[in-house]
Amino acid sequence: MNTWNIFGHDWAVEMLQQHVAHNTLRHAYLLTGPSGVGRRTLAIRLAQALNCQTPKAPGVPCQACRTCKQFEAGQNIDLMVIQAEAEGGTLKVEQVREVTKFLSLRPYSSPYKIVIFLRFQEANPNAQNALLKTLEEAPSHALLLLTADNAEQLLPTIISRCEILRLRPLSVDAVTDFLAARGVEPGKARLLGHLSGGRPGFALRLSADEKALAFRTEKLDDLRALLAARRRERFTYAEKLSKDKDIFRQTLFIWLSYWRDVLMKASGAALEPTNIDRADEIGNLSYDIDRPQARAITEGVEKALDRLDKNVNARLLAEVMLMDWPMVK
Amino acid sequence: MTQALYRKWRPLLWDEVVSQEHIIQTLKNAVASNRVAHAYLFSGPRGTGKTTAARLLAKAVNCLNPDVTHRPCNECAHCKAVNENRFMDLIEIDAASNNGVDDVRELKEKINFSPSQGTYKVYIIDEVHMLSAGAFNALLKTLEEPPPHAIFILATTETHKIPATVLSRCQRHEFRRVPLGEITRRLNEICKSEGLEADTDALNTISRQSSGGMRDAISLLDQLSSTGGKITLELAQTVLGTATSQSVIALVQAVIDQQPGSGLDEIHRALDGGADARALARQIVDYLRNLMLVQMGNGDQVEVPADTRAQMIKHANALTSSEVLRMMRAFNAAATDPRGGWSPSLGLELAFAEVLELPAQAEVVSAPRAASRTSAAPAPQAESTRIQPPISQTPTKITESQPKVATVTLEQVTKAWKHISSLVKAKDTNVAALLNSGKPIEIREGILLLAFASDILQEKFNRPESLDLTRKALHESLGVDLPVQAVIIGSKNALPSHVKPDGMVAAANQLGGEIVDIH
Ligand SMILES: Nc1ncnc2c1ncn2[C@@H]1O[C@H](COP(=O)(O)OP(=O)(O)OP(=O)(O)O)[C@@H](O)[C@H]1O
Ligand SMILES: [Mg+2]
Ligand SMILES: [Zn+2]
Ligand SMILES: [Zn+2]
Repeated sequence: MNTWNIFGHDWAVEMLQQHVAHNTLRHAYLLTGPSGVGRRTLAIRLAQALNCQTPKAPGVPCQACRTCKQFEAGQNIDLMVIQAEAEGGTLKVEQVREVTKFLSLRPYSSPYKIVIFLRFQEANPNAQNALLKTLEEAPSHALLLLTADNAEQLLPTIISRCEILRLRPLSVDAVTDFLAARGVEPGKARLLGHLSGGRPGFALRLSADEKALAFRTEKLDDLRALLAARRRERFTYAEKLSKDKDIFRQTLFIWLSYWRDVLMKASGAALEPTNIDRADEIGNLSYDIDRPQARAITEGVEKALDRLDKNVNARLLAEVMLMDWPMVK
Repeated sequence: MTQALYRKWRPLLWDEVVSQEHIIQTLKNAVASNRVAHAYLFSGPRGTGKTTAARLLAKAVNCLNPDVTHRPCNECAHCKAVNENRFMDLIEIDAASNNGVDDVRELKEKINFSPSQGTYKVYIIDEVHMLSAGAFNALLKTLEEPPPHAIFILATTETHKIPATVLSRCQRHEFRRVPLGEITRRLNEICKSEGLEADTDALNTISRQSSGGMRDAISLLDQLSSTGGKITLELAQTVLGTATSQSVIALVQAVIDQQPGSGLDEIHRALDGGADARALARQIVDYLRNLMLVQMGNGDQVEVPADTRAQMIKHANALTSSEVLRMMRAFNAAATDPRGGWSPSLGLELAFAEVLELPAQAEVVSAPRAASRTSAAPAPQAESTRIQPPISQTPTKITESQPKVATVTLEQVTKAWKHISSLVKAKDTNVAALLNSGKPIEIREGILLLAFASDILQEKFNRPESLDLTRKALHESLGVDLPVQAVIIGSKNALPSHVKPDGMVAAANQLGGEIVDIH
């Protein structure tokens, strides 16, 4: 683990710590990476590094003083955390206006006024555009930290104004260690390490959620059964699945990772499957399903996910997707 | 906190503006001849100098330097005031935050007062594409007949959002992306004066990743320099998430060799090494673009080390330009795809799998797919299905004159099959052996489909040598030019993706559920 107590992203921690220590910090950063990879943690840690009253070393926050604790909790008078009302929601222009107002006043107790925008990809175009001028020429006491899944989701004019830190998924081993260090039983830590796709935050959420693994098992069993099922059964399943959009989405994520495994296997790639506990099943399937098929199915699931977020008729979506799957006994 | 380099390095004189020569010259001339227009529109991609040029023009028209060709001078009282952001007659409006009718009305009320300090009141309306329709309307009249002391400069990255009525009232200037070489030169200049040490390779990498945005490039330089040490290629690669050029070459090689496993392994190796999937996809696109330049005989425009160039020429010869183009499309989609989600590498992996499937020049439209099929043939977009003729098969090799399109039937081919097979055998026994494990099943859109039982056999046969031999044998035996393609009929219910859904296999599939195993 690095000096900021963050799993992975050593290079990013190193760089930011240097920026703080040398006072070469810039006014705007964009931290990108899949959700659960540690974007928010890194942003908070940077805010702490700037404000900590008893730093362990230049640019290294103690994480224990009152100020550090306030920032950890997102509650400091000079900190503003901005995000859409819920995950999958919209960050609106009015919120950006509040930020502009917040930044127009001098900081109260800290050297900086810090604004953290979470999931900035959820900001609509109006909100993104309204931030451009501030993002380019922020007052000298302002620090703006944006997080997003990837830079490509944002306006090029936004990206151009930020220093970008692209956080990459961690290795399976790193996530496994991360969980083990938090007392997760080794076998489970290993499985979750695989399932997390390199996202420690996501793995932690999974490990804390008793039902999550059972849900996954159920959905993967369903998938296998559906492959052997007749059209009528598939229709029935599609109808049931589309009833609850949230469950539908979660199911699609599980299936997506599974089909990617099949695609890798059918292609002869050496990569260990994400769904490591189903390696044999995946191996068998890859005899019945060739690479082009696996690719088509994977893309189909991905497309369904994308369309689901665009409010397409969920039932139709489920039907079309399932009807495209081959029959495998 | 110290000021970001891109702010510090905003040009304060015309001559410091990089690359937009024609625009700068026009504006300079206008100032020198006192023929400044009353409304300008500066458009173009981000970070190319629009806001910069707007401020320069505002400064120039108010500059007090007696030599009109030296305006702005940065020395007179007005210039200084502008540079320090306290010049009363330069009014910069953020249209994204003040986009309503009321905001424009307020502007109009004040515009008639004469300038308080300078000769001109200059209104810079930045991000002007964000004005509401009402606000644009309210602005129209003023743009048409502004008071003589007023100048408008509108700036935007999105011209298509500006109403034609507004466009027609402005003198328009389109800023262009800054070319690679000029970005690198500017970065060098900044490094020199900031006392930064940087590898040439690192600066080139930065420029390449900035897609013509000067701000992006300076920002990246800033990020890399602020750790205090030398800016090395390695550091640039870590931050950008770019892979080595060997990875890119290996990936393209895997496509040429039709090696899905090794290609995907290469992707994962690069990602494990710290590469970012989108950055890698972008690198592949860049490489392919260079291949295309080589193919078009403009290889000298490509700046690469000698060993890479040798490799590049090989690749350029192994692929047709339409194949390169299609690969570029697929990888570009992976690089720019805004999808978020669970696995950042998925887009790249799918793009790679896609280009393996479609090394085709031919694109044909097929009949609408059967509605009730239960196969997993990839659902084609619209109703177009692609046929996959073998990679380097060139029809002209066989018939110099008019290549005859297949006028034979499947029956004729089947009848002549023994003869064809013997012709192949005379040339190459290995190919003949392979050929015998396949079976002609259909002539589709002028291409003979040979079915194989496994993907291994299919892949083995789908090589230029075997396809060419078979095609020549067909020509010799039947007198037609009939390209050949191997498909796989392996798994029970799988409909090979290239078999016409209403062909015999599909029909069997729909009828009986259990597909007929051809063997
Ligand atoms: N042509 C250029 N020559 C030199 N520097 C430039 C040029 N274009 C941009 N820059 C650098 O980028 C910074 C931003 O430029 P500027 O504000 O003019 O961009 P813009 O075209 O208005 O972009 P946006 O559309 O994102 O607002 C400048 O401060 C300068 O450092
Ligand atoms: Mg601008
Ligand atoms: Zn502290
Ligand atoms: Zn002057």
